[in-house]
Amino acid sequence: MTAPHLELGRRGEDEAAVLLSRQGFRVLGRNIRNRCGEIDILAMDGDELVVVEVRVRSIGELMSPEDSVGPKKIRKLVRAGTLLVESKNWQGPWRIDLIAMTVDRKGEWNVEHFRDITDGAWRP
Amino acid sequence: MSSVHGITLRGIEAVRVETEVEITGGLFSMSIVGLPDAAVRESRERVRAALRTEGLQIRGRVAINLAPADLPKEGALLDLPIALGLAAALGAVSVPEGALFLGELSLDGRLRRVRGAVPAAILARKLGVSLYVPEENAREVSLVSGVRAYAVPDLATLLAAFRGASVLSPVEPVAPEDEDVRPDPDFSDIRGQASARRALEIAAAGHHNVLLVGSPGSGKTMLARALRGILPPLSDAELLETLLVQSSAGSPYAGGRARSFRAVHHTASTVSVCGGGHSVSPGEVTLAHRGVLFLDEFTEFRRDLLEALRQPLEDGQITVSRAAGSVQFPSRVLLVAACNPCPCGWYGDPVERCSCSASDVDRYRRKLSGPIIDRIDMYVSVPRLLPEELMSVGDTTPEDSASIRARVRKAREAQLLRWEPSGFHCNAELPERLLRKSIGLSAEARAFLSGIAGSLRLSGRGISRVLKVARSIADLAGSPDISRAHAAEALAYRKGGLPV
Repeated sequence: MTAPHLELGRRGEDEAAVLLSRQGFRVLGRNIRNRCGEIDILAMDGDELVVVEVRVRSIGELMSPEDSVGPKKIRKLVRAGTLLVESKNWQGPWRIDLIAMTVDRKGEWNVEHFRDITDGAWRP
Repeated sequence: MSSVHGITLRGIEAVRVETEVEITGGLFSMSIVGLPDAAVRESRERVRAALRTEGLQIRGRVAINLAPADLPKEGALLDLPIALGLAAALGAVSVPEGALFLGELSLDGRLRRVRGAVPAAILARKLGVSLYVPEENAREVSLVSGVRAYAVPDLATLLAAFRGASVLSPVEPVAPEDEDVRPDPDFSDIRGQASARRALEIAAAGHHNVLLVGSPGSGKTMLARALRGILPPLSDAELLETLLVQSSAGSPYAGGRARSFRAVHHTASTVSVCGGGHSVSPGEVTLAHRGVLFLDEFTEFRRDLLEALRQPLEDGQITVSRAAGSVQFPSRVLLVAACNPCPCGWYGDPVERCSCSASDVDRYRRKLSGPIIDRIDMYVSVPRLLPEELMSVGDTTPEDSASIRARVRKAREAQLLRWEPSGFHCNAELPERLLRKSIGLSAEARAFLSGIAGSLRLSGRGISRVLKVARSIADLAGSPDISRAHAAEALAYRKGGLPV
């Protein structure tokens, strides 16, 4: 038995993976761990590799899911993503997406997909 | 990797810049190397947005190298070559080899006016390559003959042309008309001041420096402003020089052949007048090239500023040396200076009494150093008109600017005819060797001048400046030789001036 908020997070990731494949993404893997952190979903969008971070919140929580990803988390995602991309020997372009999900009291999902959250703001 | 050529400015000269673009895999990032300034670094955002309107999405790691690496690049005019380099690296288009591109991009892909189009056109002509400029720069570029230039309204049109989907029409060369300047004030608005009118006419004809000295309210400023309306039109070569300066400074070309008129306030700094600053930009003395530099309240200017004007006034060019490098700017100006005869302003006035002590007047005059005074060809005293003279309604209106301008123009055409084969445009810029040889000094004028030069203790420069003014007076009279009367009038402007 997992804690309720972790359970919610896992359900959210399932939902996000379904959503991505419906959008034409090819999901390559989930919950990939390396020494820099964990990647929720790894997918291909056309010829571009996408590292997807999924954030789930119940409605009524103070911070919205997208606000919960700050610069520190982005840095962590970039490091984990870079490590993963290098270990897979991927030569093409890649990006980081954020899927922000809120669940309301009736159990309905409210989903927002933010593409390329670093958007050139991150420098090597 | 792809490479496209653009330019950057060094002074008023365009230097070719090679823009190399390489896109590799990785998280999206864009870095520009090769000493870009802030405007070049920010081109990242403009270029990306403009390319997106064309459906070109940049992904991966983008490295942009601006070569030569040790030359500082400035301005937004590298937007277009960077965008084309990216488009080429994405495989969207193939860019013609060697051509020069300049233009600032807006977020929707339109091209904005840039400074430096004329220097770029001259560089393109020298290299024998074609040039692509924003549509708003087409007019100034069209004045540079012998360059293959294309006006580009936006990025979409240019990319379509390179894909063969459309054809860009080349910029047609046009010679601008001599539009009549609307004089404000007109010389017909100016009462009296016969001697000052005559002096300004001579100054305009031969491009000679003038100092107007007079009491407050005597009309010095008005006369100086009226001078604008009688200046002769720019010749083709002069127009190109003027355009080169203005294009580098970023002021748009409005058409016509009018000379520039720059009025500088006496609080101006030396750098603003002589040029300099972070990227060594031209100063007022350069922006007034082939035109008028008007320094009102001449004695109130900082001493070091006036002394800094010595060399540009004499040589017609100024070399600005900074840590970033040394740049030469043209500075062939007609200096019009105006000042009061003494601190209180009433020295020599027919009615008011001067309240200055002799030493006050002396100190005031000493603000102008000998070398600066030596560079002023004509001293003109502008007496104050008495109220009854001002209020009286004369039966005759004074001559208007248009007819004075016609005479000045004729005199200047005679000078052009005489000096253009040797590469000069007006009497004031003649070098010593031409002056002695072919100025057409009559024997009696020579005898007169050599007799009087000794007793007036004229410097070598003083004598040649008198000769040049005399040549202009003769040109106005339509005379091939300088007669004794012409020489005498020229000499009068030199030694007269400040009432003693």
